[in-house]
Amino acid sequence: MLKTIKPKGHVIFLYLLAPVAIFVFTVFIPLLTAFRYSFYEWKGGPQKTFIGLDNYLNLIEDSVFWQSFGHNIYLVIACIIGQIGIAFVLVLMINSKLVKFKTMHRTFGFFPSTISAVCIGLIWNMIYHYQYGIINWFLKLIGREDLVKVWLNESSLVMLLVSIPLIWQYIGYYMVIIISAISSIDTEIFESAEIDGANGIQRAIYIVLPLIKNTLLVCLTLCIAGNMKAFDNIYVMTHGGPGTDSMVMAMYGYQISFSQSNMGYGSCISIAIFVLSLLVIGGSQGILKFLTKEKEA
Amino acid sequence: MEKNLMVQKVRNGVLGVILNGILIIFSLTCIFPLVWMFYSSFKEKRAFNADIMGLPSEPTLVNYIRILTNSDYHLAESMWNSVRTTALSVFFIVLFGFIVGYILARVRFRGNRLLYMMFLMGMLIPIHSLLVPIYVVFNNTGMSNKWFTLLLPYVSFGLPLSIFLVEGYVKSIPIALEEAAAIDGSSFSRTLWTIILPMCKPILVTVAIIQVFGNWNEFSFALVLIKDVALQTVPLALTQFKGQFASDYPKQMAAMLITMSPIIVLYFAFSKEIIKGMVAGAVKG
Repeated sequence: MLKTIKPKGHVIFLYLLAPVAIFVFTVFIPLLTAFRYSFYEWKGGPQKTFIGLDNYLNLIEDSVFWQSFGHNIYLVIACIIGQIGIAFVLVLMINSKLVKFKTMHRTFGFFPSTISAVCIGLIWNMIYHYQYGIINWFLKLIGREDLVKVWLNESSLVMLLVSIPLIWQYIGYYMVIIISAISSIDTEIFESAEIDGANGIQRAIYIVLPLIKNTLLVCLTLCIAGNMKAFDNIYVMTHGGPGTDSMVMAMYGYQISFSQSNMGYGSCISIAIFVLSLLVIGGSQGILKFLTKEKEA
Repeated sequence: MEKNLMVQKVRNGVLGVILNGILIIFSLTCIFPLVWMFYSSFKEKRAFNADIMGLPSEPTLVNYIRILTNSDYHLAESMWNSVRTTALSVFFIVLFGFIVGYILARVRFRGNRLLYMMFLMGMLIPIHSLLVPIYVVFNNTGMSNKWFTLLLPYVSFGLPLSIFLVEGYVKSIPIALEEAAAIDGSSFSRTLWTIILPMCKPILVTVAIIQVFGNWNEFSFALVLIKDVALQTVPLALTQFKGQFASDYPKQMAAMLITMSPIIVLYFAFSKEIIKGMVAGAVKG
């Protein structure tokens, strides 16, 4: 049957040429180039020296890089709990018959996710600001001037403080995804559960959760992939500081390559980010699939 | 019995107040920064610094006038750069996504699965690891810092998702339609543009919605690939302002609101369609 749609070879070739060429040029060639330069010492100038695996050996001992990797993982976990966790709880509330203005909550809640990370970062810089920030304004208002501080300079707090805008920005996003998954569940299931005497929390855990499992897996994957690439917020809010206390992998690669113009080592870091992100994303997928299969058995 | 009913009613009432209260607070926190920025942008710097939360007592447009009239800020240029880059990227993503998605779904040729795998890999590749490598390649080939520079990564990164959305969509269309067209003597290209394209409109709109926001907001590749202030996009311009207006918050807010305005208008005008499109893209991708 399919033979009716068999255009001439050159027609297909012409149609595919431009998109494939652009895609190869911007995705595969850079990857291969970076792989090659990761074996060179190259400070951005014309001189490149082949140094074998030295960059990789340095990387293994580079505590800042591994600290950055740890921060990426921190963000992933904070955002899974913060974004998906809070979103799920909010969805359960929104689905209650007692709640009004559902459309408004969806529209307003989703709004921050359409704004650029740069804007979000700048807005939260203002909120955290020492002199003109809302947090310190509030602390003064309730008479706790002793707690007023330069928030983003606190080494022990900075990761938490940069996660809050990230979490805040996407709660509504996940909320809407989960709402649409739940709305496709047959309402009869809920009614019969209610008749059987299941309360709200039981219904959430034993009925809703298993039925929207696939959507939650999608949310988890988005969350993991999204936070492995954290860069914009960090760049705008802290540049990785104070010191390297909020450094993430992409930010570190950027600094090494452009502030120190160490392109050889920067290429090596890029390859490491590539491999580590794939491992984390792939590994978490594997674990999730394994765990959800166990439950079914 | 009656007493029980009363208890039930009171309990529902209290619960209702709590639930509605929490959700309203949540919604307000999502929208509050926008509102705060909006009214604060009509304050003079001195008035803002004296009272950061209060409404402007003497509203003034001075911040907007200063930003838009001072050509050192390049705001109008940046807006134009962003509009052009976003429009062209989205156009090419939709166009190429449609062509490649359709061909991968319907045409059998050697290399079909290979191409499919290649674009699938494009979705799995952690794109941020390309930040430095793309800079190197674009610099070596003289492609960086041009008006069209950002189109290449934006189109490439947008393509995989749009190809998969289109491919899935085309597979749900009965093939009999194209067979009938072929029997009537319609060429491949003619069928593609006059029959398939109109049918794919819903999925192409979804693709466009997702990409408009993504491209308008993209920052990291613009940061790396664009050095010339005359070519910078809006997010880049904003980080410049951050340095220039370090402690002048009302001015920063006015600048941010100007750059956010197209997104805000678009969002509140079509929020239902936009939310639907983004969710569809996220779940199917």
